[in-house]
Amino acid sequence: MQDLLELVVSASASGCIYGLVALAYLLMIRPTGIVNFAVGEWSMLGAFGGVVAFADLELPYPVGMAAILAIMFAVGWATERVVVRPLVERGAPELAPLLALMGMLVVFRECVSAAFGPDPQAVPYPLGFGRLAIGPLAGSYQSFFMIAITLAVFAATWLFFERTVWGRAFEAVAINRRAAALMGINLRRVTGLAFAAGGVVAALAGLLVSPNVSAHFLMGLPLAIQGFTALVIGGIGRVEGALLGGLLVAFAEHLTLRYAPIPPGLTLGVPLVLLILFLLVRPTGLLRPREARAL
Amino acid sequence: MNTARIFGAIVVLSAIAFVLGDYQTDVYRKLLLWVMLALGFNFLFGIAGQLAFSHFAFYGLGAYSIVILLAKMQLPLPLAVVAATVLCAAVALAIAVPATRLQGFYLALATLAFSQLFVVLLNAGGTLTGGTGGLSNYRLPPIFGYRLAGPSYTIVIVLLLVGTFVILQRLDRSWFGRACRALRDNPEAAAAMGVDVARTRILAFVLTSTLAGMAGMAYAFVDNTINPPIFGVENAFLLVFMIIIGGTGSQAGAVIGAILLYLLPFVVGPLIGAHHVLVFGLLVVAVILLEPRGLIGIYESVRARARRAPV
Repeated sequence: MQDLLELVVSASASGCIYGLVALAYLLMIRPTGIVNFAVGEWSMLGAFGGVVAFADLELPYPVGMAAILAIMFAVGWATERVVVRPLVERGAPELAPLLALMGMLVVFRECVSAAFGPDPQAVPYPLGFGRLAIGPLAGSYQSFFMIAITLAVFAATWLFFERTVWGRAFEAVAINRRAAALMGINLRRVTGLAFAAGGVVAALAGLLVSPNVSAHFLMGLPLAIQGFTALVIGGIGRVEGALLGGLLVAFAEHLTLRYAPIPPGLTLGVPLVLLILFLLVRPTGLLRPREARAL
Repeated sequence: MNTARIFGAIVVLSAIAFVLGDYQTDVYRKLLLWVMLALGFNFLFGIAGQLAFSHFAFYGLGAYSIVILLAKMQLPLPLAVVAATVLCAAVALAIAVPATRLQGFYLALATLAFSQLFVVLLNAGGTLTGGTGGLSNYRLPPIFGYRLAGPSYTIVIVLLLVGTFVILQRLDRSWFGRACRALRDNPEAAAAMGVDVARTRILAFVLTSTLAGMAGMAYAFVDNTINPPIFGVENAFLLVFMIIIGGTGSQAGAVIGAILLYLLPFVVGPLIGAHHVLVFGLLVVAVILLEPRGLIGIYESVRARARRAPV
């Protein structure tokens, strides 16, 4: 039982990371329909941001975090501006921006591998290393930190979409780009901000997970796949779906690794099987998209 | 391509095999196999419009199944080749029936998950697949008392490549190729014109995946060793890049893209070390942004301009 409760905390923490990556996808898919597979690499950039800010420069955590997220806001915005916008505006085939972003995935990854080398780099824990017990639930400081930050991000995103005019503008673009543009919504700004926000959320996921796994230039692709699995499970219609999907993927992974009588190598296949099953059986995800309604 | 040209291509490509040293033969054989893979993937992605990352996994499936059937099950060679081909086609069919219903990037992700899963299974396959170390210490058995080795094995690969080229070109110019292109550009219109959407998609997937499996069978005896990392997702990406850079939907483009991207690391390696992948990424982004028809598109527009210009 103790064992299971321990697992609940660590599985929730990794579920939060997958949920954040799924949220990054969702922020970009909703207004543009573009699946940006480079989010995993943005997470990796966030993790390496942690290496530079906290291991090399030894900045205070809030300052370093703000700096990393500001830079990633710019990276996300610039990626949209340079790679995505020209394709969308000249009416290129639907897959063209996705393929261009796949090219960018390789560019981000290889730049980091050139700059930092192929070895994993340690990132210090923001709250030090220790254990915290809340009632029967116990886990590392980092696990609780990950969960707290993720909940705050999801709450903020939910409030943004539900309670602000800007959020409604995003929703309007998601429902019908053309009609939204005719209503005076600036499509370019919405798309640019969507990618910038995707960059911030993805980087946050990478930064939060980096003390546990170390920053490595190949960490992006697995995160991108797990995050996408979470997204597919939760469905792209609702913000909370991303978190739900992330938690489901993480619990499936942790529970099979701990209790299923299969070789540990095979547990790597769990999210992949989940992804294939959901894509084939229930591609719209578990949660039904909310009906359109006024603010 | 008429018979004389086909014959000429076979003679020229085979003749090259006789003048190369050991190392060059190895590079040459792998180059031919990459071109073969690129041709098949060009049909699947460029002509049928299916962005399937599973193509390279089928290359691995072909390689692993022929080695397991020959070395572990002791089947005679012709039977093993037939059985491995049937296995590849059957797996492709099992994947294609549900997967080809998915559109665009969802198909890409489902097939990416499949190819990752394939590598996971290879790693966890115990003695059957040799685990992380893969399989080695096997050899191609003699055929009618004759052992295929050196240039004669290269000729086998040449024949496979030319066969693939001819089959895919014929298909491209047949009703089937036109049906595939129509489906890629506008599925609703194609269906309205009487194209059976599901059957055409499945057929294109199974056919090209089986061709990839056959290339994999030939690959198994190039190095006489196979292991999981060879068939990882990196090479699936490389295949997509080859097609995009060469020219999506064009056989000549696929050949150019495969040759360029396979040989580029040998040329620029001494200058920039292992960072040639960065060059690939930048090239892909540049091609998509500046000339979506790829290198073959640049060639065609240059030629068109030269033809227009007064001499």
